Amino acid sequence: MTINVQHETPIYRLAGVSKIYRKGSREIPAVRDLDLEIRAGEWLAVQGKTGHGKTTLLQILGGLDRPTRGQVEFGGQDLASIPEARVRKVRASSFGFIFQTFNLVPTLSAQENVEAALIPLGVHLAQRRARVSAALDSVGLGDRAQHLPGELSGGQQQRVAIARALVKAPKVLLADEPTGNLDEDTRDEIISLLDTLWRERGLTLVLVSHDSSVVRRAQRIGVMARGHLSIRQDTRR
Amino acid sequence: MFFLTYLRRELRRRMRQAIFIALGLAVGIGLVITVLGASTGVKAAQAKVLRALYGIGTDVTVTTKPKPPSARPATGGQNAAGPGPGGGHATICLNGKCYTSGTIDTLVSGDSGALSAAAAGQIARLHDVSAAAGGLLLTDTRVVLPSSSSAPLQPPTSVSVDGTDISHPDLGPLSNGKLTDGRTFTAADAHADVAVVDANYATANKLKVGSTVTLAKTKFTVIGIVTQPQASSPPGVYIPLARAQALATDPGTGNSMRGKVNTVYVTAASAADIGAVQAEIEHLLPQATVTSSSDLASEITGSAASAAKLAGALGKWLAVLVLIAAFAVASLLTMAAVARRVPEFGTLKALGWRSSRIVSQVLGESVGTGIIGGLAGVGLGFVGVAIIDKVAPKLSATVPSAGSGLQTQVAGSGSGPVAGGPTGAAASHAATIAVPMSASVTVGAIILAVLLAVAGGLLAGSFGGWRAARLRPAAALARVA
Repeated sequence: MTINVQHETPIYRLAGVSKIYRKGSREIPAVRDLDLEIRAGEWLAVQGKTGHGKTTLLQILGGLDRPTRGQVEFGGQDLASIPEARVRKVRASSFGFIFQTFNLVPTLSAQENVEAALIPLGVHLAQRRARVSAALDSVGLGDRAQHLPGELSGGQQQRVAIARALVKAPKVLLADEPTGNLDEDTRDEIISLLDTLWRERGLTLVLVSHDSSVVRRAQRIGVMARGHLSIRQDTRR
Repeated sequence: MFFLTYLRRELRRRMRQAIFIALGLAVGIGLVITVLGASTGVKAAQAKVLRALYGIGTDVTVTTKPKPPSARPATGGQNAAGPGPGGGHATICLNGKCYTSGTIDTLVSGDSGALSAAAAGQIARLHDVSAAAGGLLLTDTRVVLPSSSSAPLQPPTSVSVDGTDISHPDLGPLSNGKLTDGRTFTAADAHADVAVVDANYATANKLKVGSTVTLAKTKFTVIGIVTQPQASSPPGVYIPLARAQALATDPGTGNSMRGKVNTVYVTAASAADIGAVQAEIEHLLPQATVTSSSDLASEITGSAASAAKLAGALGKWLAVLVLIAAFAVASLLTMAAVARRVPEFGTLKALGWRSSRIVSQVLGESVGTGIIGGLAGVGLGFVGVAIIDKVAPKLSATVPSAGSGLQTQVAGSGSGPVAGGPTGAAASHAATIAVPMSASVTVGAIILAVLLAVAGGLLAGSFGGWRAARLRPAAALARVA
């Protein structure tokens, strides 16, 4: 088994990041003056109550949203200020997303859902098929490639979503409540799988969850409260 | 490949909605095809009428106004009738000559004045002209004057005669005829007393190949019998142009028509050149009346013209309205479908998909639905056209006659005028004829239907696609939560 090697150089450097939503004349701050460094190969878990900014932080890290203020430096680029087309390219090549509701396209098979992640990268069909097959094998769903999401259990759907996140060999895996829709046994299976993949592939994993048993496995745990992030634990596994 | 797989799966997933949108488009497109089919049918019916007048290949006809009759020292003027100097005999004056007995048989030019036969050659040499041929549309009128003053005067008989340019068989009224017996003219017939007769005239006068028909007191041997389309008012007899010129008289001047024609049939190099041809001829012959087939179409009246107007106005607008409604429904349903797929598109954006890729996916699905609707619409169009063919009433058209009659008055003994103009097809200036309408779906209509279907799909998809393109990934994903 390959052991995750962490680098001292941060892959992310966030400085003074705030995100404020506006609803009419009312301002709703979701993230406030956040400074954070995430090292390459690190597993950071973010815990917190609903509505305290966890998902917003994850979306800012994943280039899905831009902060109202501050810098989000990733790989030498400020995701907060570069054009959307460049953010999209970074998203396509460097980030893998895992969602609570799996977000699989219901009409596409497991194989095609995973393949969808390679479309923006312009990977050739034959290579695409090989990589998809390997990704599904890595999550133990090689024999379910032709199944539609509706024909799979919740755990299996989340595995497909993980395969979809991994197939592009991303630098960072961003997981938003990946076990939120799963029962306990399946939750443990998925977390174990993520743990294994993190270790084997040297990924940087940022996982948002309110489940303490999931969060405990991370190297560092941050807690979001009213838009502020505080790092409580640094286990340095 | 992935695009098509995704497209196919999505269409199958939303089959009911896709069918609903496709049906809406199909109804609109079917109506367009039906209206076009009916319009084509009416136009074809009108074209039949026009072809009967001037032949298949004629785009433009050239005529000139007749000269007013010159004063002649004869009773009642040039063409007049009245009690003769004998006090009881009928007297008929034609072209300056008065008759009191015997048979009068004249071949005269119709409504049009005389043009030099060389005009056809000059027109043929014009830049945008493909071919031109001269012709003489004439009326042969025969009056038998009674030998005694007590005998009743028989009404005159007349027949329209076409002097045909044998060297241009594709132009002029005979070009539209279908030979049913005998043969048509050959170059050797240019100066021969031979005639081709219309089947209806032949039946009415018990003529067959080998019979003779008398025109201007000259016997012509019938060499062929032709039928013209049902919707026509054709000449009764066709004779070689040279013979017609030798025998005919210009009623305006009383002179022979040698070296003259009264109509020039012109074919333009292409349909787009018709306007240019008209202008060129008007420049060449400033006194001439230059008439295109569309000008002639406007002269047609009756239910055929009303049907043409109905198909062109009401039908067109009805089809446009239904199409707009179909496009609007398709657009709204597509936008609703996109709204339901916001999380899906948000996820694809999170995966790095370009907005344009997502838009093209939505457009592809809409165009796919549109094409299905278009094909169904073509089917509905065929059904609509078949129904029109079954239930459409027979149309009639009132058209300007090919020839016009000799204005002759015949007087009985001491009783003043007793008969008006000549009888027969050529007697009146306008003829009302039944026009069979046959609606048909043309290749052009099918192509238009497919284009409309694609346009409808693109329109619907562009609204949906625009909505999908505007989505920010975070906002779209928030819908999932």
